[in-house]
Amino acid sequence: MARVQLEHITKRYDDVTAVDDVSMEIEDGEFVTFVGPSGCGKSTTMETVAGLTQPTEGQVYIGDDDVTNLAPKDRGVAMVFQNIALFPHMDVFENISFGLRLRTYDDEEVHRRVEQAADIVQLEGMLDRMPDELSGGQRQRVAIARAIVRNPDVFLMDEPLANLDAKLRVHMRTELQRLHRELGTTIIYVTHDQAEAMTMSNRIAVLNEGRLQQLAPPLTCYNEPANRFVAGFIGSPSMNFAEGKLVEGGLETENFTVDLDAARLPGVTVGDAVTLGIRPEDVHLTQYADSLAASTDQIDARTDVLEPMGDEVFVYLLLAEGAAGSMEEDPATSPNQLLMSVTPDTEIEADQDVNVVLDRSKIHLFDAATGEALVHGITGLEGPESGTAPTEAE
Amino acid sequence: MTDPTDSTDPTTTTDSSDTSGIDDGSDGQPRDPTLHRPDGGAVLEDDRDADLDRGPFQQWVSDSISHPERVYRAMFYVAAIFFLFTTLFPFYWLLMVALTPEGQLQDIVFTPNGFNPGAFVEVFQVIPFHIYMFNSFVIALASTIVVLVIASLAGYAFGRLEFPGRTPLMLLVLVISFFPPAAFFIPLNDLFNTSFAILRPITGDGTLYNTPFALVTPLSAIFMPLAIFILTTFYSQIPDGLEDAARVEGTTRLGALFRVIIPLSAPGVATAGVLTFIAVYNEFFFSFLMTDGQPENWAPILDGILAYQGQYQVLYNLMAAASILGVIPVAILVVIAQEKIVSGLTAGALKE
Repeated sequence: MARVQLEHITKRYDDVTAVDDVSMEIEDGEFVTFVGPSGCGKSTTMETVAGLTQPTEGQVYIGDDDVTNLAPKDRGVAMVFQNIALFPHMDVFENISFGLRLRTYDDEEVHRRVEQAADIVQLEGMLDRMPDELSGGQRQRVAIARAIVRNPDVFLMDEPLANLDAKLRVHMRTELQRLHRELGTTIIYVTHDQAEAMTMSNRIAVLNEGRLQQLAPPLTCYNEPANRFVAGFIGSPSMNFAEGKLVEGGLETENFTVDLDAARLPGVTVGDAVTLGIRPEDVHLTQYADSLAASTDQIDARTDVLEPMGDEVFVYLLLAEGAAGSMEEDPATSPNQLLMSVTPDTEIEADQDVNVVLDRSKIHLFDAATGEALVHGITGLEGPESGTAPTEAE
Repeated sequence: MTDPTDSTDPTTTTDSSDTSGIDDGSDGQPRDPTLHRPDGGAVLEDDRDADLDRGPFQQWVSDSISHPERVYRAMFYVAAIFFLFTTLFPFYWLLMVALTPEGQLQDIVFTPNGFNPGAFVEVFQVIPFHIYMFNSFVIALASTIVVLVIASLAGYAFGRLEFPGRTPLMLLVLVISFFPPAAFFIPLNDLFNTSFAILRPITGDGTLYNTPFALVTPLSAIFMPLAIFILTTFYSQIPDGLEDAARVEGTTRLGALFRVIIPLSAPGVATAGVLTFIAVYNEFFFSFLMTDGQPENWAPILDGILAYQGQYQVLYNLMAAASILGVIPVAILVVIAQEKIVSGLTAGALKE
C-alpha cells in the first residue's frame, strides 16, 4: 500500500502529445478513477505508473521512491487489463500464481495465497480450468485474482469491465468496491464510462486531450465542475449549454436573459462572452417551480420529443419559434434546444407550448474563451440592489 | 437464338432422350444442362446445333466446361500421383538396391535380385556408420538450437519493437539469405584452418577445422534468416496485452519472451526448428568440405555414405541401406513435430 505521485508527466509520441504535464497525488488506500473520452491520455498515464510506458518528462513516485526508471516488475504494482490478458496456455492456477512463481515463494505459500485470492473473487473449484473454459466474468475474476495475489502496493485497472455485458458490469462494479474495502489497497482505475467513475471512486481525475481537467470527489465534479469540459463530460445526459454575453444587469443568450450583476463576477466584465450551463434536472416547468428558492424569469418553449426512461422523462425543448429540431444537432450545444428532465407523472406531451424556469442555484457560468468555471449557482447575484452574499466561486 | 424448327432445342424439349448419346464417357448421370446453368441453358443453345457430329474429345471438352470441378479434381489427382511417384520411387529403388546382394546389382527390375536384409547390419560393420549418424544429429541439433535462440531474439526485436531502421535491417537479413553459400566457403575454410591461441584448450590445435563448430557456425548463419522471418511473423501476432501482463507480473522483456510469447508461438517455433534441422542434416557443401571425413573428426552422414566407395569397389547396396537409415531420424522428427504443430495450433486458437 502506498501513495502514488505524478509530477509533470508528459508523454510525446512523434508528433502527438498523449499526456501533457499531468501532476497529481493519490493518497494511500484511495480509489482514483481516470476518466475521459477516447484518446484523452488516461491509459497512457496509467501505463507510466505501471512502467509499461516511459514518460518523456516528469517523475512517478510510488510510496517515497522515484520509480520513473524502474521496470514494471520492480514497482510493486499489479494490473488488470482491458482485454483481460490471461495467458491462454496456462490454467487458472498457473495464471494466478504466475507472478508468485517468478519470485522466491515455496510451493505451500504459493498454494495458500492462490487459494486465498481465488476465495476473495469466488473462483473456488475452477483452478484447473483453462481460460477458454471460463465465461467472461470468470476470466475477469481470474485476472483480478492474479493481481491481488501478490499484495501489490498499487492496483491498476485499465477498463477492466469494458468487455463485459451490461448486467455483469454492474455486478462487477459492486464486487470491485467490496474488494477495495477489503483490501484497502490504492487503486487507480481507468474508464471512459462515467457511471463507473461516479459510483466507485473516492476521487475522479477527468482528463481531456492529455491534460488533467479536474481531480475531485465525484459529486464535486458533478456539482462544481472546474470547466466546461468537465461539466459536459460528467453527467448523463449532458449539461445544457447556452452561449451568452454579459450586459449591464444580466446575461443575454440567444433565446433568454438571466438577471445577473456582472460586476460581481470574478475575472469578467460587461461585454465578455460567457457560457451558461444548466443540467436537465435543474430545468423546471413554471408550474412546478414554487419549491425553488430562486429561479430565473420564465422562458417560452415548445416541447419537441419526449424520452420516457421510466424513472424520469427527458423532454427536448425548442426555444426559438420555428426552430426545427435537427437530428444532427447535439441538444447540449445547440442554442435553440434545451433538455429538461421531469418526473414521469408530469403531464406533458410532445408539441406543446410550455414555460420553463432555471434553478438559479444550479446555474453554472463558464468563461466562453477559456472554458474555466466562473461561478456555480448565481443565487444572490441578481443585481446591484439585492446585496446578498455571492456564492462560492472557483 | 431460339429456333422453333430445331427439335433439339433445349427450350422446347425437356426430355433427355437426345442427350443419352452425349453422356458416353461421363459418369452416366442424366445430363440436363438446365440443372447446372442458372441461365436455363441459353448458352448451350448455339453449340447444341453441332451436338450430333461431336467426337469424344469435343464431348469431353464440353463436359469440362459445364463441370469444371471434375477437371480440377482430375488435375489434383494427376499432380498428387506425379509428386508421390517422384518422391517415393527413389525410396523404393533405394530399398531394392539395398536388399539386393552384392554382385547382383546389374539387372534390378522393380524387384530385388535376391533378398539380403543383412545389408542393414553390414552397414555398421564395414564402417562405424552410427558415429557418422551421431555426428550429423549433433550438428543439426546444435545448429537448430543456435538458430532458434538467436532468431527468437531477433524475431522479438523485429516483430514487437519499434525502432528506427527496422525495415531496412530486416531486408538486409533477408538479402543475406540469398547469397550463394559457396561464396563464403574459401574465406571460411581459410579462417577455420587458422590457429587461434584462445581456441587451443578447446580444439587442441587451435583451429576449428575438424570440429562441429566448423559446420554449426556457417550453417546456423545460412539458415538463420528464414527462421528470423518465420518467428518475426509469429511473435508479432501475440497481443501486446499478454506481454504487458507478464511484465507487470514480474518478468523482464526476455522473461516474457520465453514464458509467454514463445509458448504461444509453438507452431512457428516448431516450423522454424524442423526446417532448420532438416536443412542442416541434408546439407552437402559445408558438410563435405569442413572436415576430413573421419568419424572421430565429426564428419557427418554424407562422409559416411561416401566411405562405402573404396578405391577398388563401390558397395552400392550398403550406400543404399545407409541412405535409408539416414532418413529415419528426420522422418521421426517430422512426425513428432507435426503433432506438436497441430497441438500448438489448437492451443494458439484460444484468445486471450
